Amino acid sequence: MTSGDTKRHAIVVRLNQQQMELVDRTIAGGLADSREALLRRALKEYADQHGGEADD
Amino acid sequence: MTDVLSREDAQADPGRRLIEERILEPGTGKAFELRKGQILRIEQAVGNQCVDFNCFNLHDYKEFMHCGRTRTVHGFNPSEGDFLWSAPPRENAMLYILKDTVRRNDVLFPRCSAFLYESAYGFDVHTNCHDIQAEAQREYGLTPDDVHDSFNFFMCTEVTLDGLATITRQNTGKGDHVDLLAMMDVLAIPNVCGADIMRTSNFALKPVRIRIFEATETDLAAVPDVPAMKSQRTPAQFRNARIKATRELVADPDYMPEFANTPIVEEGIVLDLDEAEWALFEQHARRDLYGDDDGAAFRDILFTWWEERFLNAASGAPSTAGKGHE
Repeated sequence: MTSGDTKRHAIVVRLNQQQMELVDRTIAGGLADSREALLRRALKEYADQHGGEADD
Repeated sequence: MTDVLSREDAQADPGRRLIEERILEPGTGKAFELRKGQILRIEQAVGNQCVDFNCFNLHDYKEFMHCGRTRTVHGFNPSEGDFLWSAPPRENAMLYILKDTVRRNDVLFPRCSAFLYESAYGFDVHTNCHDIQAEAQREYGLTPDDVHDSFNFFMCTEVTLDGLATITRQNTGKGDHVDLLAMMDVLAIPNVCGADIMRTSNFALKPVRIRIFEATETDLAAVPDVPAMKSQRTPAQFRNARIKATRELVADPDYMPEFANTPIVEEGIVLDLDEAEWALFEQHARRDLYGDDDGAAFRDILFTWWEERFLNAASGAPSTAGKGHE
């Protein structure tokens, strides 16, 4: 998918109501201001933590 | 079990008031009422003897010590500083291991049973932990079916790299002991493991000394705080709190299932990743598990991140304190 000059990639992350509640509680804790922002933060911090390796 | 030992020997623990003392002879066990704040000492009278152990809430025998829960929280070898937990949905700290001079215990192996000795050795009657436990607990009206998975004190076990559990010999001496501090009123039932033709107790059965003390203020102060959770339910919260008194299982025609949070329904979060984010995602996506399902791969990253960032254990149970906070 593309948007403007930069190529974009759309992903739909499906969460059930319990998983969504955990996301929303985490947001309420001040880590992000939206679900999308929290997921981006999770990706970045996961990558920082794991470097070039996927989790076992 | 027999005799009360000498007072001089029994008072070798300064500051603690001795309440009771016994020797458990080989092939026997004994149920002890242990009140909150009392200490049960299980001590090697000779050495190299495994002691199997069951524990029930003294006021509600349906709450009992759960090896599975205990090993999940504290590992295969719970020791000094760990708790013995009751089964879900109670999940209360029943006992605290205040002292352990050996630090080798087992919550992996089941109790030995008559079946074992008949199948492996040809003895249909032989000292075995299940029957010893059942006989000791019978004093309080419990049946052989009420014996639960055993916490095995001083039992030396290992898990090999290929996943097998093995028993090794122990190396304990006279006077080695564990001190169990009651966090609630319990019926505590130690038994002298009957395995004399296995290496569990180094191929011999020896007596075990039991003492009960009143804990001192210092003892009580040594216990870490344990979390109090709404999910630690009591029978008053059960949809069916009545203890079944018949053996036959018959369906309740009026039963209507009430499973929590059902139906489970999914909702999508649409993420629009830029090139750099996509590259990070591609680097860490578990394609081996999720193939081309990007959403599932991202969900794995999300909750793995959450576990690593927030999940920790406090005083033996998962903590919810500070969840979602920096």
